[in-house]
Amino acid sequence: MDVFLTSPWIPPEWIRAHGLQPRGLWAAEHFPGGAWPISAGVCAFAEAAVRFAEARTGAAVIFSTACDQLRRGFDAAILHGKQRAFLFNLPATWQTPAAGQIFRSELERLGQFLLALGGRAPSPEGLRHDMAQASRTRNRLLEAASVSSPRGFAEAVARFHWDGSFAPPLLAAPSSQIPLALVGGPFLAPHWKWLDELEAAGARIVLNATEMGERSLSPAFAFEAGARPPFDALVHGYCDHIMDVFQRPNTRLYSWLKPRLASRRVRGIVLWHFTGCDLWRGEAQTLREIFALPVLLLEAGAEPGAAPRELNRLQAFVETLR
Amino acid sequence: MNAPPRKLSLEEWDGRYDQLRRDGLREPAYGGPLRRHVVRENDFRLQQLRFDNSPAALRLWNFLLTENERLHQARAAGHKIVGTMKDLGTVPVMAYALPGVRAFYPDGAWWTPCLMECSDKLLQQAERSGIDASFCPVRAMLPAFENGRHFPRPDLLVCSAGAICDDFSTIAQRLEHLGYPIFWWEIPRRRHPDFGEIACPLPGNLAAPKTQVDCVRAELQRVGQALAELAGENLDDDCLAAGIRAANQVRQRLDSLRRLVYSAPAAPLPALEMLVAEMLAIHFCSDRDETIAVLDDLLAEVQSRARRGQFVLGPQAARIFWVNPVADLRAMNLLEELGGRLCGSDFMFTHALDLIPENLPPLEALARAALADPMIGPASDRAARIVRECQAGRAEAVVVSRIPGASHCAREGEIILEMVRRQAGIPAIELEIPPVSDAMRPSLASRLQALVETAQARRSH
Repeated sequence: MDVFLTSPWIPPEWIRAHGLQPRGLWAAEHFPGGAWPISAGVCAFAEAAVRFAEARTGAAVIFSTACDQLRRGFDAAILHGKQRAFLFNLPATWQTPAAGQIFRSELERLGQFLLALGGRAPSPEGLRHDMAQASRTRNRLLEAASVSSPRGFAEAVARFHWDGSFAPPLLAAPSSQIPLALVGGPFLAPHWKWLDELEAAGARIVLNATEMGERSLSPAFAFEAGARPPFDALVHGYCDHIMDVFQRPNTRLYSWLKPRLASRRVRGIVLWHFTGCDLWRGEAQTLREIFALPVLLLEAGAEPGAAPRELNRLQAFVETLR
Repeated sequence: MNAPPRKLSLEEWDGRYDQLRRDGLREPAYGGPLRRHVVRENDFRLQQLRFDNSPAALRLWNFLLTENERLHQARAAGHKIVGTMKDLGTVPVMAYALPGVRAFYPDGAWWTPCLMECSDKLLQQAERSGIDASFCPVRAMLPAFENGRHFPRPDLLVCSAGAICDDFSTIAQRLEHLGYPIFWWEIPRRRHPDFGEIACPLPGNLAAPKTQVDCVRAELQRVGQALAELAGENLDDDCLAAGIRAANQVRQRLDSLRRLVYSAPAAPLPALEMLVAEMLAIHFCSDRDETIAVLDDLLAEVQSRARRGQFVLGPQAARIFWVNPVADLRAMNLLEELGGRLCGSDFMFTHALDLIPENLPPLEALARAALADPMIGPASDRAARIVRECQAGRAEAVVVSRIPGASHCAREGEIILEMVRRQAGIPAIELEIPPVSDAMRPSLASRLQALVETAQARRSH
């Protein structure tokens, strides 16, 4: 059975260890599946996740509490009769043991849910194997990140989130384009055309720090050191490496960004967010202040693709950096 | 002093106040004519409001409108000031258990643009700080911290994180970036206990798994340590238990007030004063003892009116259950002008109205109270309570008041409306009310009017 995840911080290794197929929902074909009529303030990504969950009656969907929109999207899906749905409580804090305990207990609860779906009890060996394999693929993708073409990298990461496999991303051709970072929330396949538009405008994304980009490859496991049970390594490998805007404080995200922006000589930040996403939108000024870089807010509307007005803004942004 | 109940404009209150003084009105230190809040604080919105004419209501308004002034006085007297954010009702119970500590919600600054009719420019300043109009009016809090012209800078800032509104979480994070360190504590999204899990009953007819209660208890213990350190005092179980008992005194009075007002054949107290009175529950308007005195006065007034059969509105008024606080206080007047009255409310902090269990270890009791927050659990839990209270209060219609830009409103309103219509079988509408709603008054009025007329027309069926 396919188990769709709405966040890269819910371990696909844990799903796989239960004999089920984890899928990054954002990597699914035809997702988000068109423009929906949505109420004012509703995030189009969250709405698409709800509709996806309702339509895929044979599959399970794991929502997360990373934002109000997904949290309440889960409520809506349940109210509309979705049976195979689970809400994973991602802790917002991270500086106390409570966060690790919440993450651990949520994984245990998710395990019970997966067993109820027909999954098998995971073996430590199987889990360790799945974790090691995912780790290798993440490392290979991370190594390729700075030398890959932006679109090729986005495709390769999506592939990893879809089936766990590694597809070598296309290398970037040498160029003198303006190096930019793409920072923000879910960046879906229909949005990849923005990467082409950016290249056409004379810029290149050298750091894809969206939710489906390099940040999503942060989980790292430390079980080589000895007898640490793989489940413990899984808990810490995720919980200690979440780099996201919803955390409080969200300083880990900034610590993660800082060396990468510097080493890749980034000259501007495109802040990618869905309409109604307060968490990302509210970071624009802080990004400017901390990194002293120009920041362009680029909004994903209900309609996927590059709207002329947004394209115009993007082109103007690149032009100002020349 | 006993005049028949009615609503007065600010001008009418000027005369009423003079008369009351001549009749020997005795007031607390923060008393005085309401007019002075317009003159001194630029609370221009008061000129557009209609107030209850009782001395008890005068005391309530003066108590509310002098909060910042009283906080500054407390600071000058050496008290420690705690800014507690978002949990709406739990951390203040702990803070007021300590001598010399005052806790308040900087979140309350969301009413400042309304009260000052935006003359303070807080919303524009928030925009310059990177928080624009796509966020809830609580963004006014950000410049209020920066300009220091409202509440004093707290000695300690505490904010819950996790299952809270994105917009508030974002604004608080921005605040921290601007140099105001925040003590974050985790409040997980409440869920129903799974099969085989130990379930803990919570106030408000709810339940949560023991693991969540344990988690929140541990987090509140951390908060308690930070408060105790600030106060230089020990916050032990005896101290917390006394704080809980005192908080429950406030809650008991509010419970009596709500029961009397909402179940009376006609409204003995206007909707606006009920909203303000209920707000006292969350942090006692920075003075717990005075909150009890203010509520005692209100309760006595309402009991007296009920005995005399005197009301501010006639019995024909449509019984409306109101969901969410209004960004513009004027909206509560509008409801009554159009023939409605309150018969129940959920102003987003029903957990601050429910009694905190006194038969449990104090931190355990507080953890359960915090987990009963209607905003952190499934929207269907909140809607179920609304439906129950609509049925108990014989509500004829429901208004879900949408807060502009609030992330929870985007989805939650739909769920509440759907469940109310389906389970309570009464009409319900959603209205968006900005901090100063004058420009939208015609459309707000027509929607409210339609709801009231529909509710009244259904009586004959």
